[in-house]
Amino acid sequence: MMEKKIAIDSLNMNYGSFRAIEDVTLDILSRHITALIGPSGCGKSTLIRCLNRMNDLIDGVRVEGRVLLDGDNIYEPTYDAITLRRRVGMVFQRPNPFPKSIYENVAYGPKLTGMRGKDELDYIVEESLKKAALWDEVKTNLRESGLNLSGGQQQRLCIARVIAVQPEVILFDEPCSAIDPVATQLIEDLMAELKKNYTIVIVTHNMQQAARISDYTAFMLVERQGEPGRMIEYGDTNAMFTNPKDERTERYITGRFG
Amino acid sequence: MSKKESNGKLRQIFSASRSEFLVRIPLFLCAFLAFFSVLLIFLFILKESIPAISCLGLRNLFFSTTWRPNVSNPRAGSYGMLAFLSGTLMTTFFAMIIGAPLGIGTAIFIDQVAPPKIREITRRGIELLAGIPSVIIGWFGLTLLVPFLAHITGSSGYGIAPASLVLAIMVLPTITTLGTEGLKAVPAELKEASVAMGATRWQTIYKIIIPAAKESLIVSTILGMGRAIGETMAVQMVIGNARQLAFSPLERTSTLTSRIVTDMGEATSVFRSALYAQALALLILAMCLILLVRFVTRSREVTT
Amino acid sequence: MDERKSDRLATLVFWIFGALTILVLGFIVVQILVRGIATAFKPSFFLGKPEAIKAGGGVLPMIISTLYLVALTMVISLPLSVGAAVYLSEFAKDGLIVKFIRFSLDSLATLPSIVFGLFGMTLFCIYLRWGYCLIAGALTLSILNLPVFLRSTEEALKLVPITYREASMSLGASRWTTTRKVVIPSAMPGIITATILPIGRIMGESAAIIYTTGLFIRNIPLSPVDTAAPLAGYIWYAQSEAMVPDYKSVVDGGAALLLVMVLVVFLLARYLGKRFQNKSHAGK
Repeated sequence: MMEKKIAIDSLNMNYGSFRAIEDVTLDILSRHITALIGPSGCGKSTLIRCLNRMNDLIDGVRVEGRVLLDGDNIYEPTYDAITLRRRVGMVFQRPNPFPKSIYENVAYGPKLTGMRGKDELDYIVEESLKKAALWDEVKTNLRESGLNLSGGQQQRLCIARVIAVQPEVILFDEPCSAIDPVATQLIEDLMAELKKNYTIVIVTHNMQQAARISDYTAFMLVERQGEPGRMIEYGDTNAMFTNPKDERTERYITGRFG
Repeated sequence: MSKKESNGKLRQIFSASRSEFLVRIPLFLCAFLAFFSVLLIFLFILKESIPAISCLGLRNLFFSTTWRPNVSNPRAGSYGMLAFLSGTLMTTFFAMIIGAPLGIGTAIFIDQVAPPKIREITRRGIELLAGIPSVIIGWFGLTLLVPFLAHITGSSGYGIAPASLVLAIMVLPTITTLGTEGLKAVPAELKEASVAMGATRWQTIYKIIIPAAKESLIVSTILGMGRAIGETMAVQMVIGNARQLAFSPLERTSTLTSRIVTDMGEATSVFRSALYAQALALLILAMCLILLVRFVTRSREVTT
Repeated sequence: MDERKSDRLATLVFWIFGALTILVLGFIVVQILVRGIATAFKPSFFLGKPEAIKAGGGVLPMIISTLYLVALTMVISLPLSVGAAVYLSEFAKDGLIVKFIRFSLDSLATLPSIVFGLFGMTLFCIYLRWGYCLIAGALTLSILNLPVFLRSTEEALKLVPITYREASMSLGASRWTTTRKVVIPSAMPGIITATILPIGRIMGESAAIIYTTGLFIRNIPLSPVDTAAPLAGYIWYAQSEAMVPDYKSVVDGGAALLLVMVLVVFLLARYLGKRFQNKSHAGK
């Protein structure tokens, strides 16, 4: 009944000689929202960046273990990172629209795969902006620079930009940490809507947010400075927040550290 | 002053504002020296070129290709610099055709493509290349490029072609260093966003990185041009130093800079003044480039 | 797929660009060294006096001239550029005058060195009647290198944390006392490191000095007002105007020697730069 979209299997990640995360095993279910929580520096952002191989960009990163997307290990040498990233989209901490028009921002992804037809692009741009709940606000000024939008609008533009590539999974790396509460509310509503069609993983430092929107929650922690981040507990969000199994999880959600 | 200060804090505070004023002036003069030097250089070059301008007229001086100096009776010679101005522009043009893509390509290689070790080696290499004296590059050109060109083309080997090649090597560090700085200034988030959407490296480079760094890449090219226009010794060694307008890359000719160096030793009177007029032309060309850079960057602060 | 092919092609092209640049550099360095190193380190060459018409001359006076010129230029440039940088970064308020100064620095950085050479010759050698001499060359080079030195100094000053300044000023020290006792001392290693690299440039400069310091001498210059012949200028002179029959080997040897000197400076700057970097990291 519950379909596994991504299976993380005994994953270690090292920056040079420093081990950032160790032995993480976690299943991410299709069309649900999975939240990664934990104090800053616990490796939750590092972990989410392993899921679309964004860490490939950083020199000296070494990954051990497996990450299976629909059963295929994305760290297999023959696995194509470009295709992977088109299937697993990402929204970043700070809104990062390209210094291009709103239209060009959204059309960027489809154009990468060689889509050139104007009607086709117009359609995708409109659909993506609608799905990102931004269309009504920008439909009259699609040619304006994406940088002229407010922070919350920029973040929704970034979401529209990801949707336009038609991914299966969308990763959110602390998407609301740089925007105001009203805009945050809009994005949370949007995620609830998006999970009907997409598998969502969100990193958040905000426990209330994790509790509000996610179906499953994973808690990560660095126990002593210099040690790698490890997964402490993973399970149904409601269960974890009402009745955590691990004492460390409990201390974190009740605000006693982090 | 330091003795005074040890005499107690009260005294120190008391003397602070006066000593502050006293050091401000010499410090200001140090900084003002830059402005003063430029002014002085301009005035001296202008003053020394006035005899040529008044004796020959702007037209004969700047817009004639006849350069026939008369050493025994300088006033009887012709001193049109157009052929050398053309030499300067032609060598610069060809040097940029080779040097700009190579320089910007190397900058992109350093910033976006090379693995860390190779990046470091390339960067140090560029730094070293910038420090190789122009007489050495000129000697390299004279003893290797010129015979090589003579061999494959059957010409003398001297001329615009070897000069442009030598210049291409010399503008490379300028363009690459400034270009790399510009590329480095592109926010990492933009690159991340593009890569995360499944863009290949090349797509990210030409759709995101290059447009975002366009301004600095243009500026680096303009400053590279400045280097090419002003380079003297290396060009003088390979261009052939003929007093004629060149129509093909393999004809001997001169640039403004190489002509000054070649003739300065024996020039007197109007002849000499005409050489200063060429320096004036160089100065004006350089100023045009600076204004061009200012125009490209407009509000942004750029110090070279 | 198409975009993957163009990606691979582009990557290949960029590797070729990078390789080409390094190959050109390597080729020049190896060529110059291979041809000249044997001559360069023959004692009769680097310890000998040059000949005007016979073969077998050396370049000792030229080496001394180069070193003398470097030392003089540094002695003039360092205080000037530290003063100017201190003024610009610690005292000046952004205004029209600073804009003028910045514009002038940009101009100095862009003007061809031969223009500086002509200017130096006209002002120092002719108007002031000094004739060709070391000090005229050093002054010319100081003006020529002002933007480079100033920029390095300014960057070193910028690296001094603002908290140092605040701490000192909050103790009642004036701005100048703060600058003199706190800012300059902590920036000094950075300033020294950053000003080593331009020494290589002073050594290699020829266009600005051939008409200010002189081109040919037989005796070692002793005083700053003596005529000199720095190696870079002499190399040019030897290949274009000298009448010695063995000018080719003189130039080969001179070029190799000059290149070795530049390389030593370059490596020294790298070494000091690294040490300074480690130190400032450890300090944090």
